[in-house]
Amino acid sequence: MLTAVKNQTRITALSIKYALMREMLNKATFTSNVVFMVLNNASFIIQWVVLFSIRDNIGGYTLKQVLLLWGLAAMTYGVSRFFFAKAFSLSNIINNGKLDSFLVQPKNVLISAITTDVSPSALGDILYGYIILFIYGFSFGTFFLYTLFGILGGLIVTAISVILNSLSFWFQKTDVIAETGNNLMTNFATYPDGIFKGAVKLLLYTLVPVGIATYLPIQVLTEFNLVKLLIVLGFTIIIVLLAFLVFYKGLKRYSSSNLMIARI
Amino acid sequence: MKKYIFIFKSELMSNLQYTFNIFVGFIGYLIMLFILFNLYRYLYSDSSEIINGYTMNQMVWYVIFTEILWSVSGGRKFCSKISEDVRGGNIAYNINKPYSYIGYSLASHLGEMFIKAIVYTILAMIMGYLFLGMFPSLSILEILALILISFIAIVISSLLVICIGLLSFRIEDSSPIYWLYSKLILIFGTIFPIEYFPKAIQPILNYSPVYVTTYGPARLFVNFNLDTFLNILLFQLIYLILAYLLCALMYKKGVKNLNVNGG
Amino acid sequence: MPKEGRFMAIITVKNLSKTFKVKLKEKGLKGSIKSIFKPKYKVVRAVNNISFEVEKGEIIAFIGPNGAGKSTTIKMLTGILYPNKGEVNVLDINPVVNRKKLAYQIGTVFGQKEQLWTHLTPYDNFKFFGAIYDIPEAAVEKKIEEFNEVFELSEFINTPVRNLSLGQRIRCEIVASLIHEPKVLFLDEPTIGLDPVVKENIRTLIKRMNKEYKTTIFLTSHDVGDIEKLCKRVIIINDGKIVLDDSMENLKYHYLNKKIVEVKMREKVNLDNEEGITILKDKGYNLKIEVDITKKSVTDALKLLNPENIVDINISNIPLEDIISTIYKEGI
Repeated sequence: MLTAVKNQTRITALSIKYALMREMLNKATFTSNVVFMVLNNASFIIQWVVLFSIRDNIGGYTLKQVLLLWGLAAMTYGVSRFFFAKAFSLSNIINNGKLDSFLVQPKNVLISAITTDVSPSALGDILYGYIILFIYGFSFGTFFLYTLFGILGGLIVTAISVILNSLSFWFQKTDVIAETGNNLMTNFATYPDGIFKGAVKLLLYTLVPVGIATYLPIQVLTEFNLVKLLIVLGFTIIIVLLAFLVFYKGLKRYSSSNLMIARI
Repeated sequence: MKKYIFIFKSELMSNLQYTFNIFVGFIGYLIMLFILFNLYRYLYSDSSEIINGYTMNQMVWYVIFTEILWSVSGGRKFCSKISEDVRGGNIAYNINKPYSYIGYSLASHLGEMFIKAIVYTILAMIMGYLFLGMFPSLSILEILALILISFIAIVISSLLVICIGLLSFRIEDSSPIYWLYSKLILIFGTIFPIEYFPKAIQPILNYSPVYVTTYGPARLFVNFNLDTFLNILLFQLIYLILAYLLCALMYKKGVKNLNVNGG
Repeated sequence: MPKEGRFMAIITVKNLSKTFKVKLKEKGLKGSIKSIFKPKYKVVRAVNNISFEVEKGEIIAFIGPNGAGKSTTIKMLTGILYPNKGEVNVLDINPVVNRKKLAYQIGTVFGQKEQLWTHLTPYDNFKFFGAIYDIPEAAVEKKIEEFNEVFELSEFINTPVRNLSLGQRIRCEIVASLIHEPKVLFLDEPTIGLDPVVKENIRTLIKRMNKEYKTTIFLTSHDVGDIEKLCKRVIIINDGKIVLDDSMENLKYHYLNKKIVEVKMREKVNLDNEEGITILKDKGYNLKIEVDITKKSVTDALKLLNPENIVDINISNIPLEDIISTIYKEGI
């Protein structure tokens, strides 16, 4: 069991490394992707400076906290899009029969399938996340927590995407639904939860778990709370397991490239 | 002109089969709108308050309108399509065809976006009414004027996106430039009006693409005024011509280099 | 447990079936809208109750026209697709239950799908595949060295795959699938799109593999040359059913009781209504006939033509390609 995990980790790391090498073949494009993504994220600082000129407190957040929120959202997004880029186009892989080559390998199909590609701009997101942390105030404690939450959040976002994309084992045209779902997560994650009320707030901690991926971590970063940390950790484990479950359940219905649409 | 209308029409017809995608895509729009609605409801302590010259209702309608313009210009995909054409060498095939590449791209893009524009507009108006319980007061004539302005706004956005896409002649991947452009449009003209920015930079914004592509039309929508209309129209025409000339120039130069390098 | 003998079945397939639901789409806008709300499906039986066995060390050709169910079968054997009915056993492993365990023992090459990283060299790719199969680094390096010699790769082993020719790529694909010394190798259209010289190379490689490593080979191909030159046994599948499972020799022999005779003559000869002779082409002085030698010997046929009268003659067997396409068309 332990060797299997070790071997799987080794091959996953190798796969990500090779994918990164492929992206770095063209250094100029690679660098501009990273740099422009940092600038792209930074442009939203303007938005919040303007909004905070109206009120000094929006939804219980100060400007600094909103920036941290943005930074963590970018980290989360970056971790998921960098390490598991293909999780966001998994339905294409499923529909076009591209799981075949992973199915004949003695490794975990889902992990292999989603780690064959990296997105260079996602590296810019991660970088931006750390820049924000330095602006917010660096300490080894926050650095560690921030990184941890970035990874956990990334796993949550990836798991949700895997679940949504896996729907294409059962239904058609689920790629648009998955894309919308993923955007929804990002959109909510970049606004303070204090502006939402009642049912919506409940939704954000359940069906659209932005609350757990982003809002709770910000609370823990502002004021350490072990229970909240454990909630985030526990939720991550559950949703990741759920993603595997849904994917493998669907895999039994996988039809390789035999799924054709016949026209009358 | 006739052939471009034909391209527009056939692209429109072939996109009818993606109606489902448009409806699902609208959910994304709705969420964005919902978040901004919550944000403004939070910022305005009561509905009579005026911030930077806008009431809350006006602010929400402003955002509804700019977000429609934003979604309907569908720039990200369009830009990467143009880039693909340039990098994949598709553009080389177009040189010998009896139509202009820019005209072709524009017509097919507008055709692709047409149904989306109608669906989004109708649904967004319903949503706005549900959120606020009122419509901005506009006469039929004013609505027609708005449609004209919005159409030109989308054409200008599309031309600007073509320009960015054509940058691929020089740099391998133009999408980073597009991100930055789109974020500037988003922040300086979509989320809130120009009046929200410091007085010092307002004049700059008034001459920027933001004025003719998002801010201008949306401002007319929430507060119609004949003078503003004529002013925006004038600026739009100037922008239209300049954007087209820029596209044509970039295309010409790019293709010329392509020939020298043998594609 | 049978000893590793000649008659040990390595692949057993019993009453295997696979159906697909295919979505039907009507034309036009109305059709698109209808298909969103009320999709219509048609059930297609891709594989219909087939059974066969493959023995250790065999090279077997699994052929059939497009859409006959070849790929579907191969995909069920390798654990890619779940069967609807029936049993599959490869090396005493059920692919459905133990996909990963089976994966260590088999190799696959799908001619139209690439498994290699194109920006890496074959050498790095082989090392990657070594890692996939948990082979220690030193062992992989040794293996690569060995393959380098046996399969003559040294010319391009350090060139990025994207710079290789199609033939070199396929060779590397095949070699990559051998890194873990699979006991069975599944090849789906390995020579598709290759020129004759490269095809020959690939065939040599496959033969060598079978000989040196005793690999059992399960091959699908549209190329009669592949089948004729590599395989001793053929299974023909059509419409999801096995229509023939026989040795290459029998297949040929069965149809070899017919000969094709092409002659060029000085004078016209009337062969209408002669028993055992079918006229394939009659262009006056040029004649092409098929002689059924169970009914008329070749000598008798030649006598009818009158040897004095013959300017030029060519007697040949029916090409395998024609035999196979007859089977496709008529069944057996």
